[in-house]
Amino acid sequence: MVKGNWALYEEDFWAINTTLQSLIQTASAKSVMLIDKTGQLISSIGEPPGFDVTSFSSLAAADFAANQELAEMVGETDFATLVHQGSNESLYLSMIANRVILVVLFDKKTSLGLVRLKARRAGDELLSVLNKLFDKLQYKNEELSSATLGAEFAAEAENEIDSLFKE
Amino acid sequence: MSLINYSSREINCKIVYYGPGLCGKTTNLQHIYSRVPQDTRGKMISLATEMDRTLFFDFLPIELGQIRGFRTRFHLYTVPGQVYYNASRKLILKGVDGIVFVADSQIDRFEANVESYMNMLDNLAEHDLSVERIPFVMQYNKRDLPRVVPVEDLERELNPKKAPYFEAVALRGTGVFDTLKVACKLVLKTLG
Repeated sequence: MVKGNWALYEEDFWAINTTLQSLIQTASAKSVMLIDKTGQLISSIGEPPGFDVTSFSSLAAADFAANQELAEMVGETDFATLVHQGSNESLYLSMIANRVILVVLFDKKTSLGLVRLKARRAGDELLSVLNKLFDKLQYKNEELSSATLGAEFAAEAENEIDSLFKE
Repeated sequence: MSLINYSSREINCKIVYYGPGLCGKTTNLQHIYSRVPQDTRGKMISLATEMDRTLFFDFLPIELGQIRGFRTRFHLYTVPGQVYYNASRKLILKGVDGIVFVADSQIDRFEANVESYMNMLDNLAEHDLSVERIPFVMQYNKRDLPRVVPVEDLERELNPKKAPYFEAVALRGTGVFDTLKVACKLVLKTLG
C-alpha cells in the first residue's frame, strides 16, 4: 500500500480548483498556483504559464522559506504574504495553514489591492478545505489510500528506476 | 515530504544531496541531468554564486513515468556545502524523503566530511528526523584521486549504521546512478 506524508483526494482537489478558478476570475489574474511548502505543485489554474511550473514551485517555496527566516530575524513570526512586482508581471504569494502557498500571477489588467483582497478571501476558503483534508488524513489515511493503490506499486517502480537510471 | 495527488494521479518525492563544500553534490545532479532522457527531466535550477559555488540549492525534477497509473516524480536537491550556509541547508531539508550524503574521499577533506555529517544529524534532528528513520545512502566520491581515505575508515566514521554505500567518481559519472537508484528505491519502499 502506498501512503504519503500527505495525500490529496478527488473531492478535495475539485474543491481547491473551484476556489482557485473563482479567484482568477474575480481578481482578473493570469494564473493561480497552489504549492506545498516543501516545493511541490498541488494545482495550477488559468493561462498555462510559459515557464516550468515544477521549477517555479520549488523556487516559490524556497522564497517563502528564506523570507520566513528573515522574518524571525527581525522579530516577526512570519511574513504571511510576499509580493514581487515587475514592470509587466507580478506575483502575490501567501501562506495558508502553514502548509501550502497560494501564488497569484497577475499583470497590469488588475491591481495589487484587488488581488490581495480576493486572495485573502480565497485563502479563507482554502483554509477550510485544507483543514477538512488534514483531519481526514489524520483519521482515515490508511483506509483511503489502501482503496486506491496496491502492493505492486513499489515493485513496478523499481523496474522503472532500473530502466531509467542506467549509463 | 511525499505528496500523493489522487486526483491528478501524481506522486512527488524529495531527495536531498548533502555533504561538505566541493564534494561533488552539484556534479552528481549535472551528470544525472546530462544522461537521463530529455522527456523525463525538468529544468535544472542552480542558485549559485559567480564562482559556481552553490548559494542556496540546485534542483532537478526527474519523472519516472506512469507507475500503476500514477505519474511519479523525484525532486532532487543539493544543499550548499559551505559551513556558513547552514540556514539554507536547514530549509532544504524541510519535507525531505531521502538523503544521499556525498563524502569527499580525499585525506585532507576527512574532517570536513565529519563536520558536515554531524551538521546533517543536527539539522535532521531539528526536523524531528534521523538517519535511522529516513532512507539514507552514502556515496564516497573522488575515488580516482591519489590521496584518498580507505573506504573502511570512511565507513567507520561516517556510516556507523551501515546504510548502503557506493564508491564514485561523479565527474566521470561512476557510481552516480547506482547511488540514485538505491536512494529512489528506498524512498518508494517507505511509501509502500
